[in-house]
Amino acid sequence: MSTALLGSLLPLTVAVPIVAAACCPIVARRSRRAPMLLSVVALLASGALLCCMAPSVYDGHVLVHFMGHWVPVQGHALGISFAADAWGLTYALMTAFLGALLVLSTLSELGELGPKELGGYSCLFLLLCAALIGAALTGDLFNLFVWFEVAALASYALTAFFLERAIALEAAFKVLVLTTIASFAIFLGAALVYSSTGALDLGEIERALSGRSGAPVALVALGLLVGGFATKAGILPFHGWLPDAHEAAPGPVSALFSGLMVNLGVVAIARLVFEVFTTGHGHDVLGLLMVLGVTSAVGGALLALVQDDLKRLLAYDTISQMGVLLVGLASASATGLAGASYHLVDHALFKALLFLCAGSIVHMTGATKLSEMGGLAKRYPLVAAAFVVGVLSISGVPPFNGYVSLGLIHEALRSRHELTPFVAMLVSQVVTMAALGRAAWLAFFAPPARGEVPPHGQDLRAGMAAAMIALSAGCLAFGVLPTVVLAHVAAPAAAALLHPAGYAGAVLASGGSIPPVRVSFDYWDPAAIATVVGTVVLAVPCAVLAGRVGERARAVTRRLQTGSVNDYAGYLVGGMVLTVAVLAR
Amino acid sequence: MIVVNYLASVTLLCIGLYAVLTKRNLLKIVMGLSLMESSTYLFLLSLAYRAGSTAPVLLGPPHGESPSALAHGDVADPVLQNICLTAIVIGVAVTGVFLAVTVRIVQHYRTLDADRVRELRG
Repeated sequence: MSTALLGSLLPLTVAVPIVAAACCPIVARRSRRAPMLLSVVALLASGALLCCMAPSVYDGHVLVHFMGHWVPVQGHALGISFAADAWGLTYALMTAFLGALLVLSTLSELGELGPKELGGYSCLFLLLCAALIGAALTGDLFNLFVWFEVAALASYALTAFFLERAIALEAAFKVLVLTTIASFAIFLGAALVYSSTGALDLGEIERALSGRSGAPVALVALGLLVGGFATKAGILPFHGWLPDAHEAAPGPVSALFSGLMVNLGVVAIARLVFEVFTTGHGHDVLGLLMVLGVTSAVGGALLALVQDDLKRLLAYDTISQMGVLLVGLASASATGLAGASYHLVDHALFKALLFLCAGSIVHMTGATKLSEMGGLAKRYPLVAAAFVVGVLSISGVPPFNGYVSLGLIHEALRSRHELTPFVAMLVSQVVTMAALGRAAWLAFFAPPARGEVPPHGQDLRAGMAAAMIALSAGCLAFGVLPTVVLAHVAAPAAAALLHPAGYAGAVLASGGSIPPVRVSFDYWDPAAIATVVGTVVLAVPCAVLAGRVGERARAVTRRLQTGSVNDYAGYLVGGMVLTVAVLAR
Repeated sequence: MIVVNYLASVTLLCIGLYAVLTKRNLLKIVMGLSLMESSTYLFLLSLAYRAGSTAPVLLGPPHGESPSALAHGDVADPVLQNICLTAIVIGVAVTGVFLAVTVRIVQHYRTLDADRVRELRG
């Protein structure tokens, strides 16, 4: 198909799930299964459309579609555009397919809910997925804000969906406050960019900014935008909402939040920093991203290490993984960017897998805390195996997928002689492995802490098992086929980020192409293997130590993570002020 | 003068932020956020302002002006006003969700004090 024709399909990838979302509550009256089936079909249809574009986009083309064919005239865009480059498309594809898998899992876990609940639930789920796809593909700054808000509204409602759990309400309130402040920042940022460049189209903004270096208004705007999207990504000073929301929401919703929604922040930051605000101040922004990334990677992992609640532990680990992604981006080399886009996919796979495992433990035994579990492996071998696969992937043990993406990011840091971030990455990997290894041990293999294995409640449903098996297979596949994924997905995504003028020019010219970059990964690199061995050796004492000091350490973290929404908002605002100050100085 | 607008907007933002950061009453936090929201609208509309300009409506121009003359300059920036409208619509939806959650919290915990709704921490 021609690129113009493919481009004109772009809005459909968002429209299909949105229309289906509107239909869900209606079809729920006919049959309880109907809304879930409709959601799976809609997400698969959207994914199939994206798949049609994939060969062309990963070949280096940028597909562009202007709504109503209001194409730019002499470099001035009045219309609203959708543009698919390899970076955005990777995220959109993942959202569509992983979303379908998660709906399937929910269908079987929550199948006994009433038709009204199922209709509303699948409607919100689809809206969130549609908003994420829209945010990944939009070529317009204000539209990015709108998709952010759509995703935020859906996430508020999903967090508070199961009202019988009071903590869900508390979590929803915190999510609301922090995300609303973030949305103000993004809104103001977009308005300042417009007032400084007279443009909202991302391509036109890039052109306008590349003419002059470091306009102060644009830098303030960039600070606000980065701060706002970092809140969505749960980067460290902005992270207050994330653990609470993940702890309170049911398993598949946490998987959706952690695997897909928080990534929106990183995807948007990468788009803005590498494809829009490209000139004059590259160094400052990259330094800021590096600092934020390292802080989150290490801080998130340390906080995860001492947690007792399994889902909270996984949520803190998400903060750490988002930090790793930012570090990969901040290294700004082809290898690092390819590593970041690889890790984006990997994180979605293994974190969704781990949250589904945690959710299924809650489903089957009602236990949420590690101290209530123990010895579950014998009774639930499948869940135990899936959890272990997730832990090994996240800790970067071959042959699973984390090995490749972490290896790429490490290599990027080493080859640029960025010693401090490199060491920080290693520390965060050791602590991550210790935290998750400890969780796996306590939940599945250790003798039950309370003398007996928690009683069996409901059975594991077929759909939940299928989703876990599929995600485990995904973790393995992305680990053993690194050359294929690198050449056809990660390297094109890195190329899209490395050639800013390519994206901007393509949006303004209603289509264009990006020159490819080469990224290679040596699977048997002695340094990478040594890193893995070293991490495993160091992780064991680290986990043991965490077990010793657990309760005291939690008392310390409780002093920082006070649970007060005022404090979290304070952290956020402080982080925002710092971000703006660093960029605009 | 337009400077007054900016000052008013910053003042509103600070009052809102003060409420969000220091008030423990959930409703006051929501009100603080609403104030911050209004301050962003005022800020955007002030950005859209141009001295001596008219409203960006090209149909039925004021006496003695033609639509093309209006299109060539002397109107307030319609894009920012549009953005503002969109944001107001979104803001109403968010406030609705906010109040719904607050009502539920009050029904469950029988309090509006954020400090007594703090089970999730650590």
